[in-house]
Parts: sequence; structure tokens; C-alpha cells
Amino acid sequence: MGPTGVISESGLRELLGRICEKSRLMAPVKRGKTSFDFEWVEDPEKVELGFARTVLPPKKAFMPPREKILEFSLADGKTTPVLDKEPFVLFGIHPCDLKGIALLDWAMGQRHGVSDPYYLARRGAATIIGIDCTPDEYCFCTSVGSADTREGADLFLTPIESGYFVEVLTEKGEELLKDAADVGEATAAEEAAAKAAWEERKQGVTTKINAEMEALPDRLEPRYHSDIFEETAGRCYSCGTCTNVCPTCFCFDVDDEVDLLLSTGTRERKYDSCQFQDFAVVAGGHNFRGERADRVRHRWFRKFVYLLREHGMPFCVGCGRCSKSCTAEIGMVDVLNSVLAQAREEVVR
Amino acid sequence: MTTLQQRFPDQKPEELFVPEMAKITRAENLTEQDRIFEIELPGGKDLGHKPGQFVEVSIFGFGEAPISITSSPAKKGSFELCVRKLGGLTGKMHTLGAGDEVGIRGPLGNGFSMADYEGADCLLVSGGIGMAPLRSVVDSILAEREKYGRMMLLYGNRSPADILFTDELEQWGKGENNQVLVTIDRPAEGWEGNVGVVTTLFEQIELDASRRTVAVVVGPPVMYRFVYAELSALQIPDDHIYFSLERRMKCGVGKCGNCQIEGKYVCIDGPVFTGEELRSFRESI
Repeated sequence: MGPTGVISESGLRELLGRICEKSRLMAPVKRGKTSFDFEWVEDPEKVELGFARTVLPPKKAFMPPREKILEFSLADGKTTPVLDKEPFVLFGIHPCDLKGIALLDWAMGQRHGVSDPYYLARRGAATIIGIDCTPDEYCFCTSVGSADTREGADLFLTPIESGYFVEVLTEKGEELLKDAADVGEATAAEEAAAKAAWEERKQGVTTKINAEMEALPDRLEPRYHSDIFEETAGRCYSCGTCTNVCPTCFCFDVDDEVDLLLSTGTRERKYDSCQFQDFAVVAGGHNFRGERADRVRHRWFRKFVYLLREHGMPFCVGCGRCSKSCTAEIGMVDVLNSVLAQAREEVVR
Repeated sequence: MTTLQQRFPDQKPEELFVPEMAKITRAENLTEQDRIFEIELPGGKDLGHKPGQFVEVSIFGFGEAPISITSSPAKKGSFELCVRKLGGLTGKMHTLGAGDEVGIRGPLGNGFSMADYEGADCLLVSGGIGMAPLRSVVDSILAEREKYGRMMLLYGNRSPADILFTDELEQWGKGENNQVLVTIDRPAEGWEGNVGVVTTLFEQIELDASRRTVAVVVGPPVMYRFVYAELSALQIPDDHIYFSLERRMKCGVGKCGNCQIEGKYVCIDGPVFTGEELRSFRESI
């Protein structure tokens, strides 16, 4: 473990206040009775420190649900890319969400040898403060290898009795912490308390995938025609909520908005979803994934077969958002375990 | 894997989605629904494409659409797109003519590797608007005729009025090593040629078993299964069959996800796939 410290809760609130004065702060706030969301925050008192999960994952900090990518003039065809490089601090990122960001960094950063400039501009402007969490019945981070992620975080906080145990993970994090009052060195007992908290948290994750990740592609492949996908499709509304709230889903659509005088406009992109009926429709009208069961299967196969094979890691971080948000109560792990439980001969067509 | 910076050394990373404004120098309707455009990039520079590649065409206010390049790389100083009127952007494009500008990003996609076809007999199969990208293959073969064996072109259409490049088809069929066969789906007045879907033309060709034959297939999705069966019956090995697949390619650079086939992206890994690859995907055709 690198350098550590301990900060009191009041010290942390004060630090968040200083961050608000110096730059922008995106942090979790309470939205509904039981829901939380990442928002631009000006009042540090509004920042939530303990919560299971936000509705939308922190990908919205780097890839907003709708964003301008180009401004154009219809008169002369002149275009300007719209890049947001203004520094900000992203606070309150759980280990699963850190993993989600790391996976997006690859998908939007290096995959296919192409870097997405809009994602990388915001990503490069961010300082990330992670925080340990309290899992609930939807969480399954321990099954997908994201329970102990620190990757991408500049600081990581773990609540302990005396305040927050702080791991300083980068120079940027160290710099940020210089603004904080009430930071002390961590005692051996405090470090032990943090370690105990991590263990306790992991013990609290009771939802499990019944397979090792590396075995999943080969185990799922022969179950391509599993009737579980048909049955799941019978309940699914193709609403796209699961992909919207997914920290690792990044598909997007692009369209143009033109002003009333037809002189200037913007090219914008927004979240798309492989679950939408028209996602794979081509100009001639052919739909390559017109059956809902095909779209449902695609979601599980993309997470646990295609991208796992390509990148060596599942494109699921076990945050439980899709299962919790699904209006039809379709559970990521339930479906996966049901398919895995089927014998090969049951699904061969 | 070549990075985008290697493919487009002049492009600034921040301008990944910025189209280059290009001038339409000629436009002409080929059929009621198809219009061909000759397009010149600033300074008359070459697009630098391979047959089978595509560009993203931008019309501000209407968006972007992937359009395959119909001219061969042998044509210098400008390139051609043949556009079927199907949606908002292509509908708008049909109202444009010489002097108008469109945005261009590309060339994108892998394209056909003409070097792999050298020395081989080339069986080209197309249906409908699939003839547009295939034309760039035909012209590439004809531009360096001695490098390739026989050229057999099978081309299916719904009706005589839908046939593209009618004058050129006649030219292409000249020469003893060239065979051009055209068919229409249903009988039509004044049509004396073959009637039936494109697969009915297969009985009119004869492959030379002593020679390597490669097959290049571009057409509507519905055509592929049937053509593939014919090619297999002719015992053309899977790795000598090249299909160009159609998908909804929004970004063209492997990010937006719309064109995925299982783990592949058609805009990056394709649009050209071998029969071998095609067989390994379950949702390809």
C-alpha cells in the first residue's frame, strides 16, 4: 500500500468545499426518497457519503447522456469540435464504478486503435476520489473481479470509526489532499480497521455468478440458443434502461440539431441501446436483430463472451444497476446463472 | 492493428468526427432512385481508398450516412458515390448537384484486398445497389486486366428500370475473358434477358477447376444465404469468398457500436469478410 492518512468527516466536507471553490465538483446527491445521482455540486453539505449506488453511473461525467460534439454553420460548412477540457473532481466512486471507468477508458481510448476525443478530453480533466461502499442484494462485484479496484482513482476513502482512511494513489491525489485540514497519519490500528472494513464489505456481497469469469465464454457459447433468452425476452420491454444505467455500455447514436433560422447547428450524440428494436436496422429496412430474444442474448453475450474474449475482462462490474432499474425485474445474475445451469443438450437446436 | 493516426497521419485527434467539406463536380440520376455523384476533395487530392471501402457523408442538419465508394482507385483527382434514395440524408442528397458541398469522413473500413485476387478467376456477384461498391472492383480489374484471370459478373435486379451502369455493363462484357450476366426478378415488357433471381445465373457460368477462383459478393442481406449456397456447391473454398456486409455504421471508427456482429465491428473489421469468417458468426446474414 502506498501513502495513507486519515481524515475526519468534517475535514472531508471542508475539503469538498475547497474543491467547489477551486474547480467543478461532480458528486453523488440524494434525488428521490431512496435514489442518488451524480450531479454538479456547489454545496458540499449536499454530497452523500454513504449510498449503495447512483441511478446513472459516473460514465455521465465523461460521456453525458446527450452531448454536443460539433458546432457547424450551414452557410459555409465550417465546423468546430466541442471539447470540454475544464478540470473537475469526480467524487464518491465505488470500486465497481472505478472498474467501469477503467473499462470505458479502454473502449473509448485505445480499442480499435482509435481514441475518442470527447471522452478523453473530459477524462483527462478529471481527478477521481473513490470511496468504499455498503453493498446490497443487487451487488455482485466479488464475482466479476471489481471488488478491490483502485485503478483510475487519485484518492480512495474507506469509512472507519475515526473518520476516513485515505489511500493516496497518485500525485494528483496528493496535491488535492494538501488543501485538506484535519488529515493525520494513519495508525496501524486504523489501517487494520480499513482492511477489516474491506473484508466485511466483501462478505456482505451475497449475490454470486456460478462460474469463474475466464470460463464464461466457453460455457456460454454452446448455450447460444438457450430458451432462457426467449423466456427473458418474454418479460423484457426493450426499453433500454439496462444499457443506459450500465457503467460499461457506451453505444451511441448521432444526430443534428439546427437552429430556428437554419443558419447554425450542432451535431450531438446520445446513449443508444442494443435493446432498442431499431438498433440494427439498415437503410433498406432489414433488421439484423429484429427478434427481442436476439437482442437480449446480445446483451449477455457482449458482456460475458465477446468483450471478455477481446479484452480479457467481463464488461460487467457487478454494480447491480441494471437489475435494480429493470421494470420487468430481469436480473443480470439470475439470467446468467439460469443459462449456466442448463445442460448442453437442453439448448442444442 | 493500425491506429487511426497511422491511417490518417494528417488528421488531428480532436478532429476525429470533423468532416472535410468536398465539392460535387457532377451529379446524374442513373435510375429513379439512384443518383451518382462525382466529388472532389479540397485541392483535388486523392481519397486514397481501396475498392469496397466507404465514406461517412455529412449534410449538416441531416446527419451522416455511410456510403460505399463506387469509383476505383484508378480514378484520380475525384471519386464517385452512387446513392440510393432511402432515408432523410440520402433523400436530401438527391436534391444536390454540381457546385454543392457535402462533408466527407474516410475512407473507412477494410475494403477488398485486390492483391489476393491477382492471378485468380474472379466471380463477382451483386444485387441491386450492391453493384455500386462492386463497380470499384470491376474497374480495378479492368485497369490492370493482365493481373487477373477471367472476370465473371452476375448482377441481379428487380426490374430493367433498376439496372445501374447500363452502358458500362456492355463495355465490361467485351473481351473474351469477361462475362457479364444480368437478370431481373420478374418478366418485364421489352426485356429479353434472363429472368429470375441472381442465383439462376449460376448455371450459365463454368468454372475452370484447374484454376483458383475467388468470389466477391455484394448485395442485399436476403441474397447472401442463397449465393453462399451456390458458391459452396461450386466448391469455392470459404477463404476465397469475400462478402461485403451491410450494417448501420454511425461513427465508422469502431466506437458507436451500431454495426456489431457478435464481437466484430463491421466498420473496422469489415465490411469485407471471408466466407470463413461469416460462418463463424451466427448473426451475420
